[in-house]
Amino acid sequence: MKNSRITIGILGIIIFGIILFVLNLFVGSVMVPFEDIFKVLLEVNDDKTLSVIIFNYRLPQALTALLAGAALAVAGLLMQTLFRNPLADPSMLGISSGASLGVGIVILLTGAISGAAVSSFGWWSTIGVSLAAFIGAVVVLFIMLAFSSRMKNMTTLIIIGLMIAYLAGSITDILKFFSLKEDIHAFVIWGMGSFSGVGTSKMTVFAISIIIGLIATFFLSKNLNILLLGEMYAENLGLNIRKNSVIIILVSGYLTAIVTAYCGPIAFVGLAMPHIARFLFKSSDHRLLIPATMLIGMDMTLFCNLIARMPGFDGNLPINAVTAFIGAPVVISVIMKSKK
Amino acid sequence: MEILKTSSLSIGYDSKTIASDINVTLSEGDIIALIGPNGAGKSTLFKTFSTHIKPVGGKIELFGKDLMSYSPKERAKLLGIVLTERPDDMFLKVFHVVAAGRYPYTGMFGKLNEDDEKEIKVSLELVGVNHLAVRVFNTLSDGEKQKVMIAKAIAQNTPIIMLDEPTAFLDYPSKIELFSLLKKLAKEQKKAILFSSHDLELLLRYTDNLWIMAKNKPFAAGLSSDLLKNGIIKEYFELKEIDNLKI
Repeated sequence: MKNSRITIGILGIIIFGIILFVLNLFVGSVMVPFEDIFKVLLEVNDDKTLSVIIFNYRLPQALTALLAGAALAVAGLLMQTLFRNPLADPSMLGISSGASLGVGIVILLTGAISGAAVSSFGWWSTIGVSLAAFIGAVVVLFIMLAFSSRMKNMTTLIIIGLMIAYLAGSITDILKFFSLKEDIHAFVIWGMGSFSGVGTSKMTVFAISIIIGLIATFFLSKNLNILLLGEMYAENLGLNIRKNSVIIILVSGYLTAIVTAYCGPIAFVGLAMPHIARFLFKSSDHRLLIPATMLIGMDMTLFCNLIARMPGFDGNLPINAVTAFIGAPVVISVIMKSKK
Repeated sequence: MEILKTSSLSIGYDSKTIASDINVTLSEGDIIALIGPNGAGKSTLFKTFSTHIKPVGGKIELFGKDLMSYSPKERAKLLGIVLTERPDDMFLKVFHVVAAGRYPYTGMFGKLNEDDEKEIKVSLELVGVNHLAVRVFNTLSDGEKQKVMIAKAIAQNTPIIMLDEPTAFLDYPSKIELFSLLKKLAKEQKKAILFSSHDLELLLRYTDNLWIMAKNKPFAAGLSSDLLKNGIIKEYFELKEIDNLKI
């Protein structure tokens, strides 16, 4: 009986996700008329612009949103269980700040050194930014791994992560202080987050990288479940605490680094989605929570992407403006409902 | 049968030795209470036995082999612990807490087979909490939580169970109930049980064997009646009114 409730819940989230995905393809500043949807899909339409919009622009954007949502949400779940802290999320490791610093260095220093804005450098402005974000994130990730392999205490690890985040943040601010106005603008835009940066050209690399990370999380479910008892019990049950936290931080950090590199630092998804999964299924079993959190994360980012692109918003509203605006009331309502 | 044996064991953190020259054995069916004033090193001894910290000196042997030479997984099948620390998760079910005891025995995804399910069921029944299996752990009373954690240790199926202050937070009847449960485990399951406690009066009444530690005093072990008679308990706890204790 209980299993059927879980099945219905998961199916519901999947169906909702499919609907959102389809809406993502056809709703936007250029609406695709309903009767043209099938024509476009079957490629019998004479109007080529519609199929270009859908296949070259909206499809990769929807796929990016879906993958990023799953990755960030599950990365948050791993952090919350590892640190046994409901407010933990991937940003706690300082990874987003590391990525920001990397991007800051590329955008702001290019301008300072050459005297011209980075946007005037063509290919460098797009590939350079992703690469810089990834390198910045990975550097911080390795610093955190070095600390976590030495330490058993999770609270001190959180503090170190936050300190590194602040440190990276302040260096970024110093860079900003010495930068061109135009560059600062480019940096701020990157910081708002967007799912349109991946596009068709980089989709394969992005998708494969994310899917590898997502698959890896499933192999962590047993150890995550045992961590719920507390570290001392987990250790007595044969879990190698340090090795385990290194692996969890590595997987969570890897997913966050890739998403941040391609989409910018997207807040809130990692923090909030695990809570929705827990309260919806009233479970703490990670064999259920991992897939459930991924699916809910997908729905959430698809929904946010849809809102950000609604007609009337003239192009793209920044994703970070939408995630918390839509997400916070959802989390509150889910928690209130289950408390009744 | 001798299970655990220490020889000239020193315990502590890094360079700071808290207690030294500990020579004790733990055998099948033993039920031993570890007592001593706060700060004497009881928790440190537990942490050393559970390999959370390394011994400062000396040796600990488990079934004649150095404790540290076992892999964590092997050790998990030999020594189970019950702590004062409690799992604190909003949705964690009692069944899953006890099932965690099967962690050293299950495969990569932690899937329980028939044997595991049976062990869990037996453990829940043995401590009398099978009716709580579907409850959320956090909603239980202190006494019920204690029993569930003991059921976890039983499901872990180890020859030794160590309990850190299992009587703390319990009301009087629950304390008595706990002692009889521990006795049952030692007698029927042939487990070696070591537990620390501050309930001196109850211990003298319900347990035969004591290990006693105090700052700057040698580690002592023996029958509780002897330790009481020769004044060791009085001396170690710096008690003045021990004559009022009736046993």
